Amino acid sequence: MKSLPSWGMSALVAAAVLLFSLVRARGPSPDQGRWAATSLPVAQVLGEGEVAGFERALEPRPFDFPADHGPHVSFRNEWWYLTGNLEDPSGTPFGFQFTVFRAGLDPRFARRLPPEGKASEERPDTPPPGEGPGEGGPGPASPWSASQIYLAHWTVTDGGRKRFYPHERFARGALGLAGAQGTPFRVWVEDWSLTAGGEEDLFPLTLQVREGGTALQLEFTALKPPVLQGEGGLSRKGPEPGNASYYYSFSRLKASGVLVLDGDSIPVQGLAWMDREWSTSALSPGQVGWDWFALQLDHGFELMWYHLRRADGTPDPFSQGIWVDPQGAARTLAFGEVELQATDTWASPVDGRRYPARWRLSFPGEDLLLEVVPLIPDQELVLSFRYWEGAVRVSGRHRGRPVAGVGYVELVGYGEGQGRKAP
Amino acid sequence: MSRPSFTPRFGPPPESSGSLRLLSLAGRRFLWRHPWQVSLTVLGVALGVGVVVAMDLAMESARRAFRLSAEAVGGRATHWIVGSGGGVPDSVYAALRVRGGVRPAAPVVEEFVGSPALPGRALRVLGVDPLAEGPFRRLALGGEGVEALWRLLGPGGGAFLGRETAWEAGGGGGDSLPLAVAGRVRHVRVVGLLEAGDELSRQGMRGLVLMDVGRAQELLGKVGTLDRVDLLLPAGEEGERRRAEIQQRLPPGLTVREAEGRGRAFDGMLRAFQLNLTALSLLALLFGGFLIYNTMTFSVVQRRPFLGILRTLGVTRGEVTKLVLGEAVLLGAAGTALGLVLGVFLGTGLVKLVTRTINDLYFVLEVQGVSPSPSLLGKGVVLGVGVAVLASLPPALEAAGSPARLVLLRSILEEKAARAVPLAALAGGASLGMGLALLALPSRSVTVGFGALFGVVLGFALLTPMATALLVQGLAGALRRRAGPLAVLAVRGLVGAMSRTAPAMAALVMAVAVTVGLGTMIGSFRRSVDRWLDTTLQADLYISAPGLLSSRAQGTLDPEVVEGILSLPEVAGFNTYREIRSEDQGGGFRLLALRLDPRGEKAFDFRQGGGVGAFEAFRGGEGVLVSEPLAYRRGWRVGDEVAIATDSGSRRFRVVGVFRDYSSEQGVVMVDRGVFERWWRMGGVTSLGLFLREGVAQGTVAERIEALAARQGQSLVVRSTRDLKAASLGIFDRTFTITVVLRLLAFGVAFTGVLSALMALQLERSRELGVLRALGMTPRELWGMITAQTGLLGLMAGVLAVPAGASLAAILVQVVNRRSFGWTLDLSWGLEVFGQAVLLALVGAGLAGAYPAWRMAKTPPALALRDE
Repeated sequence: MKSLPSWGMSALVAAAVLLFSLVRARGPSPDQGRWAATSLPVAQVLGEGEVAGFERALEPRPFDFPADHGPHVSFRNEWWYLTGNLEDPSGTPFGFQFTVFRAGLDPRFARRLPPEGKASEERPDTPPPGEGPGEGGPGPASPWSASQIYLAHWTVTDGGRKRFYPHERFARGALGLAGAQGTPFRVWVEDWSLTAGGEEDLFPLTLQVREGGTALQLEFTALKPPVLQGEGGLSRKGPEPGNASYYYSFSRLKASGVLVLDGDSIPVQGLAWMDREWSTSALSPGQVGWDWFALQLDHGFELMWYHLRRADGTPDPFSQGIWVDPQGAARTLAFGEVELQATDTWASPVDGRRYPARWRLSFPGEDLLLEVVPLIPDQELVLSFRYWEGAVRVSGRHRGRPVAGVGYVELVGYGEGQGRKAP
Repeated sequence: MSRPSFTPRFGPPPESSGSLRLLSLAGRRFLWRHPWQVSLTVLGVALGVGVVVAMDLAMESARRAFRLSAEAVGGRATHWIVGSGGGVPDSVYAALRVRGGVRPAAPVVEEFVGSPALPGRALRVLGVDPLAEGPFRRLALGGEGVEALWRLLGPGGGAFLGRETAWEAGGGGGDSLPLAVAGRVRHVRVVGLLEAGDELSRQGMRGLVLMDVGRAQELLGKVGTLDRVDLLLPAGEEGERRRAEIQQRLPPGLTVREAEGRGRAFDGMLRAFQLNLTALSLLALLFGGFLIYNTMTFSVVQRRPFLGILRTLGVTRGEVTKLVLGEAVLLGAAGTALGLVLGVFLGTGLVKLVTRTINDLYFVLEVQGVSPSPSLLGKGVVLGVGVAVLASLPPALEAAGSPARLVLLRSILEEKAARAVPLAALAGGASLGMGLALLALPSRSVTVGFGALFGVVLGFALLTPMATALLVQGLAGALRRRAGPLAVLAVRGLVGAMSRTAPAMAALVMAVAVTVGLGTMIGSFRRSVDRWLDTTLQADLYISAPGLLSSRAQGTLDPEVVEGILSLPEVAGFNTYREIRSEDQGGGFRLLALRLDPRGEKAFDFRQGGGVGAFEAFRGGEGVLVSEPLAYRRGWRVGDEVAIATDSGSRRFRVVGVFRDYSSEQGVVMVDRGVFERWWRMGGVTSLGLFLREGVAQGTVAERIEALAARQGQSLVVRSTRDLKAASLGIFDRTFTITVVLRLLAFGVAFTGVLSALMALQLERSRELGVLRALGMTPRELWGMITAQTGLLGLMAGVLAVPAGASLAAILVQVVNRRSFGWTLDLSWGLEVFGQAVLLALVGAGLAGAYPAWRMAKTPPALALRDE
């Protein structure tokens, strides 16, 4: 579930692990290495890295927009997460995901900064003085010194030709290679960027990404105000204090722009969803993965639900969600309010690992029953970190009336333990 | 070799296998009864094969070590973005990635440093961005993946070391490793170990200090610049297009060029060096071939009666040929087997010499042991056995070709040999002519030069029998009147045994000639360098930061130290040097920014140009001085406009002087310091030359300078002209150690050949000598005669070797060296070299005659007369 603070961390961590496992194993399939990303139990992954010194999400806080759209470097992890369903003029469906993860390297540095939001492009990337190369000498600090590293994932799903295009980028927050800033808002990893329309306004928000013959340029406007997840924006992930994140979402964005696929420019428009989350905390022991659903229904409602899975296969009581009505009023959902049942599975062609591939979702409180079907089965990201995240179609009944919609589903932590126990 | 493997290979069809088995048995019986002969042949082949294998092994080990470290460090990059000496600014890399979308691309900062914890070792500091590394290098960080990344990138991030290097440096992770960077000791935290998946990458990681690019910049004092940017471009047109595209985005002074590594660069840089070594080792094999030829001829000659009987009994020519060739294969195989063992053993020693030469002259390289590849060993087998077969082909055919009856007669063979002498001389003349013709070709090819060399050597060798015959006849004529019949007998005996003497003489002449040639070349070279050093080292004191390459300065001097030194009252004038490597399409050269004191102008020995006008143009900024090797290789002449890449783009300069230089075969271009500061970004001084006031003691000033530098925390190497000269000649001598070793080996092979040939000659004459004894010759007289004969052979070989050696020397000095390295050497004839050569030949031959003489003198005549 992307809403877990651990996810960003684990992605980064796993990405890094894999980066080095690739060079270690050198196999054609990154998964054959002992160090394959997902072979690391999430809990262990999150035990790594320096947590001490970073701020923790302990209690609800006031949110301050637009400043909070920018980075919060006193927390270890943070991400900007956009997913959406688009259509070309002939009605061919497309999906896209764009995610930027930030991970703080140096907690000492985090303390030295003003609270959040005010961080400029330069500030977070300047190392604390006196942190040269060991005891060597007081030479000038290299501009490569960074306190943040960034990972970005971008995918496009072509529902017409049934193809999936996953890409990723890594960079450190130095030399302008990657970074995040609050006012005006901008987050970028090399030539992939998400940029605010104005000094104070987040919208119209512009996404620009390209890789080889594929590119996407989208402009977003908010159709509803942001909703705070969890307890006034404090989203608890486990029983331990501080095992939580600050989390808000734009549940309905209008998106329009141009998609370039293999050199062809395609005008597209549709709906998108944006998640923002930052935290320092680690995943609780025993939590192995999650299924995350963000569904946008045609009659103006949105449902977000994440299902935390435990090692023994049972859902974790910290699973939760949110229900947003057409006016933008939101209600958080607790464990047990939404029932999920997988009705089909899909085997990855890479190694045969199985993911659920179709669900029956019921939300008795709203008399909502939905069938969730992936746009295409193969939307697995076989990158540094391996997971399934893809566009879905939904159809069903809400309070007795037929309803349809689109959405995005993320499945993390599948295929672990298949003979690849972490050391 | 055991019979089962021998017989089937060379055996006849099954029905006649009995007779051939008998034949081969008889053949082996013969070999068995001539252990000296056989062991010398085997030894000769072994030495020949051994030298070639050892040479190959040494070079291959060096190449492999280079390739492994290049792969570990250079990775899969196909192209590099490099600067014109001053590196690539960080911002250029960032712009390429962010705005240019150029990827994969990876920044690299790299330098060799020393460590007080590992004296005498070179460590390669490699600074990379682990986040951009993915496609490039196979660097495996030990420990938990993310931990590793954090330790590299995180606060106070440190270095990863190869496991062995860390162990040798005396500690695992967590410790700090002292590194000597440009004369300063700096400590790097060791935060983890590099893990190698296999032996190959383990070797490639030896001496590697892996750091984050930023940390490496800080450590090496390179903040703001990268040494290069690695690129991975597709092959073919698409790659060329992308390369051009990237080039367009680069500011002036930066170029995209093909990546070095994977042995290509190695071969390019060491081509001349390698060729020289290969030529020498082939020469050794050639001697081995002579040896086999000798033995086989001998064994055929010895068994002429037996072979004749076989032929009259109906054994076919083919069978006789097979028999002789089979024996050759047997001897060749035995020699080869021994040679391979010897080669691996020798190679282990040679690799150290090769590595040292490479480190002295070319680049830092650490070779860890040798491991012969199957292909290398296979090459040794083919060479050893092949040469054996080729060398015994003439005697085999001869034995088979003679009419059955005639085979029985030794005299027939000698008649044939006598007839062959003029033919050989003719062939020798032709070979000599061809060699000279090759020399006359307006070529710059080193291979053609070596071709000429071999032509001339072979020519001399083939002319030797004729020359020997003429000398002997002249001598016999002269002796007839003055000396007794015994002396005449001794001399005429040599002519009478031309089939035996000719090859032995030829081998001896070649060996001595090669010794003379190489000796003269080394002597000329050393004298040229010596004179050049006297001219070049004009200043009184030379100061540089301690570096790893003994032949050049690395790292810049602290500006405050420089200022302090130059303001010393004892300093009357100074030169400053700033060396960078300039890269261009022609393979690059050393670029030296020189602030030249007027006192230092005498330091240039101009081959072309020079003069007052030249220094004016040089200081004025339009002129550059070019070293002879570079001018030779590029075909640059005084007055030519040449393009040199600067940090502000390519600029044209006029060549105003070509000066003599032996410091770099890649070549040096000198530009004025002012010009350098105008067109290049980086400043700094890599070394200083000081002219002291009259009457000032060098030692005192040197001490003051060292103290001054120590206060600034920099250790310096301060050397007087004399020290520097001694150090330079030390490098020179080290470089030629390998040549000297090869020269000795070649001589050893030839000596073995002579020994075996002369011994064969004398042993073969048992009956003849028995007759002489029976006729009343005393053992003492016999001993004297034999010694005189072999001594005479040695003397003649020595004399004949003089013109051959002189020609060889001239070709080596004036053609091979010039074409290999581009520099001119003054040929200087060392009389002692020639004297030594003649003496060597004499002593060698004398020794070779001693044993047979002793044996024959001891043998009762009756026994010697008895038929076998």
